[in-house]
Amino acid sequence: MGRVARIIACTATLVPAVVVADGNLWDSLQLHGFASQAVIRTSDNNFFGESPKTSFDFTEVGINASLRPFSKLLLSGQALYRRAGDMYPNTLSVDYALADITALSLDQGRAGLRIGRIKNPLGLYNETRDMPFTRPSIFLPQVVYYERVRNLVLASDGVSVYADWFSDFGDLSLTLVGGQPQIDGNVEWSFLGTDWPGHVEPNETFWAGSLWYNTAGERVKVGLSGATSSFKFDPNPGSTLKAGTTAFDYWIASFQYNAEDWTFSTEYVREPVQWEDYGVFFPDQKVTAEGYYFQGAYHIRPNVQLLLRYGEGFANRYDRDGTGSSAASGGFIPPFSRYSKIWTASLRWDINRHLMARAEYQRHDGTFFLSNRENPDFGDLVREWDVFALQLSVRF
Amino acid sequence: MRALALAFVSLSLVWSCELSAQDMIVNDGMNLTSLSRNQARLYFSQKAQLWPDGAPVRVFVLPDEHPLHRSFCKRVLGLFPYQLRRVWDRMVFSGTGQAPTTVTSEKQLIRGVATTPGAIGYAAEGSRHPGIRSLEVD
Repeated sequence: MGRVARIIACTATLVPAVVVADGNLWDSLQLHGFASQAVIRTSDNNFFGESPKTSFDFTEVGINASLRPFSKLLLSGQALYRRAGDMYPNTLSVDYALADITALSLDQGRAGLRIGRIKNPLGLYNETRDMPFTRPSIFLPQVVYYERVRNLVLASDGVSVYADWFSDFGDLSLTLVGGQPQIDGNVEWSFLGTDWPGHVEPNETFWAGSLWYNTAGERVKVGLSGATSSFKFDPNPGSTLKAGTTAFDYWIASFQYNAEDWTFSTEYVREPVQWEDYGVFFPDQKVTAEGYYFQGAYHIRPNVQLLLRYGEGFANRYDRDGTGSSAASGGFIPPFSRYSKIWTASLRWDINRHLMARAEYQRHDGTFFLSNRENPDFGDLVREWDVFALQLSVRF
Repeated sequence: MRALALAFVSLSLVWSCELSAQDMIVNDGMNLTSLSRNQARLYFSQKAQLWPDGAPVRVFVLPDEHPLHRSFCKRVLGLFPYQLRRVWDRMVFSGTGQAPTTVTSEKQLIRGVATTPGAIGYAAEGSRHPGIRSLEVD
């Protein structure tokens, strides 16, 4: 953490210097950012705030700076402000803050090292998941990119090594990250069901890695990425939930095809989770969550894009219809809260280089990916529901 | 048949509009005479961030929707402009790279490349200007 703080401090002192930029050192300074505001209305269930009554609780603002003081050293950092319903009511965070050192740069490839807070290279979208212009739609495919526990896999405080090989047949990119994950209250809600007396903290090093292959010209992009770690619960004295651990893996297989006017993407995720030693009220168990989506985006005009997506996600791949879990809970948990099947239609309009508007409709069967922090009472959940959303985003 | 002929004529018109070729240009101080298409792609996408001599690659481009940019991407690099944008955005917003310098006119682009060591860009074919050199793309 101290390392991250030092890098941020270093980056922060650069900002005033841009005004008096004179020497070569500051010539490479770049500032970029974005801001977005969405309005969300759902037929039922809370999604990013009290959405059945129309919610404005989805705001994102990011500002970043980068500097290349020497040709082999890149310093960068981004501050992120987010409001996302009851999951993140008002959060200011350091999204990333890192030093990137190029160790090797050849015609055939490059290799290097990153130190600091590093975004985990998971799937097509995790690294820039909060930058609206890089997302395919207002909301990422929820069946793969769980919003309710986003911070668990978002970034690591640690070290990363990367290597890229370039050839006429395409590029191969390997990245490995090891560090400490960002664990917050949403992890406890999602994995332990409620806010227990005590708190959740990292247990082991968080490891993430990715391997990507692109054809030359990036027509085809194929990748495998994953993460593995565990966290533990530190109970307050007298807590009914004991000091247990939860170990999880998170694997994503990705494929994308890019044509001039359209892009097809598909991803498959698998997340085995194991709960141990939480005491008699929370028996040991092992469950594998699963999800996948197919997505096509077509440019109707150069600045207007229509996207269609279908995705399914399951809390337990061996109990996809949720009836097993529901029966085990004596009917307390409805079966449909263990899966989500989602149709999405989204329209993107790039008004100019800096401004983008989006409109989105989703039809849901099931409530698996909803945050129980936002929907604490199972009895209030509605199985079939709709989402309407609009979003306006700016960038510089 | 007439519709087909019309379609053919309009297609050839589109082609002839696009045929105004572009040159890849670099700062005159660069010790380079040619690049392969794949190398050019790597430098423009900023996946390769250093020249063989270790100096940083400084990319100058026109806006994504500019006809010269679109045409250069497709014809010289074999990429669609949105693909470059996607790669640049991923780097800029994950802190793993820097954005190219975007200028609004070809004149500014040429001037930028001429006055920046390690710069690479493009211009309409046959552009002459002190400080720049055009590169062969094999």
